Amino acid sequence: MASMLEFRTQGFNPYAVKYSPYYDSRIAVASSANFGIVGNGRLFALGLSAQGIQVEKTFDTNDALYDLAWSEINENQLVVACGDGSIKLFDLGVNDFPVMNFHEHKRETFAVCWNPVTKDSFVSSSWDGTVKIWSPTRNQSITTLPIGNCTYSTSFCPSNPALISAASTDSHLRIYDLRTPPSAKYHLVSSIPVHAPQTLPGAPAQPASAPAEILTQDWNKYRDTVIATGGVDRVIRTFDIRNPAGGALSVMPGHDYAVRKLAWSPHASDVLISASYDMTVRLWSDGSMQPAMNPNGGPSVGRQLGVMNRHTEFATGVDWCLFGMGGWVASVGWDERVLLWDSNMLMAGR
Amino acid sequence: MGALDRISQIGGQISGNPTAGGRDKILQKRPDDIVVTACCRTAFTKGGKGGFKDTQAADLMTGVLKAIIDRSKINPELVEDIAVGTVLAPGGGATEMRAASLVAGFTEATAVRTLNRQCSSGLQACVDVANQIRAGMIEIGIGAGVESMSTQYGPNAVSEFSELLEGHKEAANCKVPMGVLSEDMAKDLGVSRASQDAFAAASYQKAVKAQKEGLFNEEIVPLKAKWEDPKTGETKEITVARDDGVRDGITAESLGKIRPAFAKDGSIHAGNASQISDGAAAVLLMKRSTAEKLGQTIIGKYVCASIVGVKPLLMGQGPWKAIPKALDLAGISKDDVDIYEINEAFASQCLWCANELGIPQEKINPKGGAIAFGHPLGCTGARQVSTLLYELKRTGKKVGNTSMCIGTGMGMSAVWVAE
Repeated sequence: MASMLEFRTQGFNPYAVKYSPYYDSRIAVASSANFGIVGNGRLFALGLSAQGIQVEKTFDTNDALYDLAWSEINENQLVVACGDGSIKLFDLGVNDFPVMNFHEHKRETFAVCWNPVTKDSFVSSSWDGTVKIWSPTRNQSITTLPIGNCTYSTSFCPSNPALISAASTDSHLRIYDLRTPPSAKYHLVSSIPVHAPQTLPGAPAQPASAPAEILTQDWNKYRDTVIATGGVDRVIRTFDIRNPAGGALSVMPGHDYAVRKLAWSPHASDVLISASYDMTVRLWSDGSMQPAMNPNGGPSVGRQLGVMNRHTEFATGVDWCLFGMGGWVASVGWDERVLLWDSNMLMAGR
Repeated sequence: MGALDRISQIGGQISGNPTAGGRDKILQKRPDDIVVTACCRTAFTKGGKGGFKDTQAADLMTGVLKAIIDRSKINPELVEDIAVGTVLAPGGGATEMRAASLVAGFTEATAVRTLNRQCSSGLQACVDVANQIRAGMIEIGIGAGVESMSTQYGPNAVSEFSELLEGHKEAANCKVPMGVLSEDMAKDLGVSRASQDAFAAASYQKAVKAQKEGLFNEEIVPLKAKWEDPKTGETKEITVARDDGVRDGITAESLGKIRPAFAKDGSIHAGNASQISDGAAAVLLMKRSTAEKLGQTIIGKYVCASIVGVKPLLMGQGPWKAIPKALDLAGISKDDVDIYEINEAFASQCLWCANELGIPQEKINPKGGAIAFGHPLGCTGARQVSTLLYELKRTGKKVGNTSMCIGTGMGMSAVWVAE
């Protein structure tokens, strides 16, 4: 693999990386001292220049940082998910301190996602078993959705501002629709048992896999009812939220350890990328562009398009660049490195 | 926040451990938890010789029920049901136990029943009451167990099997005496005499040490009892406050000299099997919300319990099957448990179960077990709760498991948390 840009987050182990939605040359990394177990956090705002990757700004926090999301309405702002349960809004034009602090979660905040459609809110999930929806201008949350167990990942549907997904330790992917009337179900519209057996009429029952924590999930950017999940059982699965009991659409086994983070491509409807505790980043096609392989029903098996194995510690974060000819990705890992590379190179040998 | 929590979380993600975080979960305090606010037992005394040899089971039960009221300061009228596990009592002891509750200070409003699931009766009583509370049938209840083996142990415990039962091979196995089948099981599973004697001697030594350090003081309620001196025939009143089966100076070597009891070439003898004893124990249970409302001191909580069946001839394997099921129901792994109270019916079966499950010796019965201080059948399950919770508290540990094998081939186990 020839050209690969590299940046070292000296003394800090990255947990997440995100490209700016405004600039093709701006990237942010959420990182933590001591692998996020104890100690400070540091947010890096990085710029790509002719001289390589340069630090534009850093912000330090008192506890570890686990995730970040760029603001969709202000190109200089971003929120971070902090180990003390807070969410902090930083502005690249304001030194050192956050411009807003949102502190309601009672345990580690693990994920944040900005609403990409209405752009006026963001969502967070936490170890305290709740998902909270926030306005960047209010210190108190707008809505709290109770999940009941540690929730590693939450996000807005990229095409519908009322749909929120959440993935938790109890092996369920939950979908919330804020348009439903408030009730005892707190807008929960479906709860997908990710490890449940497949029940298809006329087909032999597929065995259930053991329930395992889901660590990451992402909405497909083209098919707005498809979500991919990954987690402790090492398998990536895709689901159609219109058929919550129908089981996985496709499965992508291959990682040797838990899948820490996955992201659908903004450029192709069948391509996604994943980062894992097995220190690799892998590129996949979920097989949805091929004719159905499995006429009996049951999940199709996706195809691994390539493996990036330059990280020397757990790969924890990965994101796609929205700009350019498509295919550039950023990956981060506990090896204190941020790597920018062209995923098309992984397929060059094929 | 907690660095250890974060490490264990990351560890769980990497190892793919399905019970990662399970311990966390059961340590959480919820208003609908079933909690223990008082538990105690009498001393255990040797059958036919010890301090309670002339004391009826109902009198023992009266003693511990009184102590439960004293310790918890609960208004007796609020206790809605008492379940008493007892194995040998004729008629199940139902009449006597109801009467005992009235003597102890409960009013006619408190219901009483007895039950018999052999050696797990005391645990079954606690679990039944916990389930009654969980289901909303009652708010506050007592699970208890009692056995007077001095007055009620004997050949009448089992009636003659009918021809129908005798004609069915596995059914007929249900009445093979415990000692005989345990002897065969030890032989078949290759549990050596030496390892049994070492385990039994350790039980004695742990109990002696615990007794000397006063570690039983919190759980034992001293009880006055009438006792007839076999030499003089004179009856006097004594206070029984210590397990009199615990003997100092027992080593694996000294046990090695005892003649086997059930077969000439056998390995089981009086020194490496549970003692025949008298005793009673009780546990006061209610929801956490109720306990907080009443200002009760919470000692621990009941998490869950399992019941399993095994082959009648291999009844000693009960805990080996019951413990994993209980841990499974609790969502924890065997390493998440700090102390295992495994009833020592026989050193052979207890040792075999622990070895099969890979439970380290230092986690098992830290204050000794039934080999050292006795196994009053119906009482043991309720006794283990006191022994466990006070030991967890003393050592600053949290999660405990109690279990026992059950005659005719069953096993029972429960998970508890100390607070």
